[in-house]
Amino acid sequence: MFATSTQRSFWMFKDENDVSNARLSANIKYISSRGRNMTVEEQELHFLNVTEEKILIMSYEYQLRDFCRKFLPPMPRYVIGTALHYLKRFYVNNSVMDYPPKEILVTCVYLACKVEEFNVSMDQFVGNLKGDREKAASIILNNELLLMQQLDYQLTVHNPFRPLEGLMIDMKTRFPTFSDPERLRSGIDEFLEQVFYTDAILIYSPSQISLAAIIHSASTSKENVDEYITKILFSEDQKRLLNLIEAVKKIRVMVRNVQTPHRDVIKALEKKLQLCCNPDNNSESPAFKKRMKQSFDDEESFEDGQYPSANSDQVRSMLMGMSEMGKI
Amino acid sequence: MERYIVNGRIGEGAHGIVLKGIDKSTMKLVAMKRIALKNINEQGLPNSAVRELLALRLIRHEYVVNLVDYFPQGYSLVLVFEYLPIDLYEFLRSNSKPLPTSHVKSYMWMLASAVEYIHSLGIMHRDLKPANLLIGSRGELKVTDFGLCRTFNHSEKAQRLFTHQVASRWYRAPELLYGSRNYGPEVDLWAMGCIFGEMLKNSPLFPGENDIGQLCTVIQVLGTPDEENWPGVSALPDFHKISFTKTRKQISFKKILIDVDESSRTMLEQFLRYCPQSRITAKQFLEAKYFQEDPLMTAIEELPLPTEKSVNTATAEFVNWDWSSTHF
Repeated sequence: MFATSTQRSFWMFKDENDVSNARLSANIKYISSRGRNMTVEEQELHFLNVTEEKILIMSYEYQLRDFCRKFLPPMPRYVIGTALHYLKRFYVNNSVMDYPPKEILVTCVYLACKVEEFNVSMDQFVGNLKGDREKAASIILNNELLLMQQLDYQLTVHNPFRPLEGLMIDMKTRFPTFSDPERLRSGIDEFLEQVFYTDAILIYSPSQISLAAIIHSASTSKENVDEYITKILFSEDQKRLLNLIEAVKKIRVMVRNVQTPHRDVIKALEKKLQLCCNPDNNSESPAFKKRMKQSFDDEESFEDGQYPSANSDQVRSMLMGMSEMGKI
Repeated sequence: MERYIVNGRIGEGAHGIVLKGIDKSTMKLVAMKRIALKNINEQGLPNSAVRELLALRLIRHEYVVNLVDYFPQGYSLVLVFEYLPIDLYEFLRSNSKPLPTSHVKSYMWMLASAVEYIHSLGIMHRDLKPANLLIGSRGELKVTDFGLCRTFNHSEKAQRLFTHQVASRWYRAPELLYGSRNYGPEVDLWAMGCIFGEMLKNSPLFPGENDIGQLCTVIQVLGTPDEENWPGVSALPDFHKISFTKTRKQISFKKILIDVDESSRTMLEQFLRYCPQSRITAKQFLEAKYFQEDPLMTAIEELPLPTEKSVNTATAEFVNWDWSSTHF
């Protein structure tokens, strides 16, 4: 299923460079539009650079997980995984300065709940948030369609959890010399948690990631699953085996390099963000409110049938012509 | 939106209006479903729309209605489908006599092809019924309305629970009537059996008046379910809430389907089995001898077309459309 998924066709980058380039162009695009009248030095001082953006996004990934962990009723981890995918996808093509990350974060979680059929009502959902709940609900509703558009309506996410279960069952049946693979579970879970803070989920397939988790967990507990990988899983396909070894190595490096951003650093960046963010996309801003009203008005005109204008004779002749041609 | 000319209104669904239009790029008729995101109950995009998007992005099949396009319109999301003039419900009601077996075979074959494909993708429809089967202008049958569909995964069965409040009553499988929360794609097979029977009989097979009445109607034909004819039935949530006096089959299929040939009836009975696992699958059905026996199924091109009348009415409807005063 992953093989034919939109995740594979549209949300898999070649390598880390590829991801960085996408983020860089979103960053440049924003700066060049908002900082048109500034010198390069002024721009550097005023705006976040792409490294700073990345640190900020990561801090929001932590916040997202934190929010989901405390969520009631308890949220299954595939919902969290899907929400994290959404957040990451959103800010690969958009600058964190352009769209307020707090708003996008909650919207990602809300949409993930729906897509993963973790059915909670809006009331239940915002009941998990602090502060003005009515405002939160309205923020989510305002952003839901934007988020879907930015995800290009590709909402199905393949998380590494399902392939992991498959591999565990496979190990138990085809690799019985390895006693009780469940021992590896805590190491695996820890690894899978960390991997969501990296770009590995935008580069590698869910099964490669889950295999990396197993291998990593085995090696940290001084176990060895090499035989399972080389002799059982990829016994006949040397090329795929080499591919996999390379991928696993890189995923493990990426996870090892995860650094939790320091609180003071985040604070400073948040401050900077407040000054350089796009006021038009803040749901509190007049520009935003005006745009929303405009949307409503557009809709009214659609309902009134003013949209789009069609001369009835013209349409009738089109219809007639079509039935003659046997098209309808 | 500029791509379409709206020329009529098809109806109103639970989440918004459905308009009829012409796709200028292909000159084909389309049905445009407009789903309000800011709906009355403030849940944002309805789950049914999320499911429809998820499923139809994945599904491409000649006997499944094609999602042509989708775009935001103000606060709404518009889903654009190919337009099919009539559904099987209206079609059957417009016939005074039951369909000839050769036609029924042909419709069942198209339905089974679609269901086999959907199930192979790990999706169950959960709301198959004549009103959700459309008849196209070439006589072909297409499955529509994926607003209740869900993915299923046999290995996860125990983890993810589903609601039993799905499917329209007359087509609801007995496990749903008994409140099962971990059913599978077999619910679609039951519904297929009901549709099969309805086509053969030209009236609903199990027209229960309420949920209990529904079970009674089924029991009258299949007898009382017990551990013998349905292993596991006594563990279903509502099994002990309702008890029926033990009855043997009172009315046989033979009595209900008087003029129906024996091989159709035998085939039908294989869909309508209590135990979900013993129902014939869509795939097995397609491979059945039934399709090689006389009467052979009618070629799709030779099936009756939705009457010319319905096309004309649609045109007339639009000619009388007063754009200035109509509110959708």
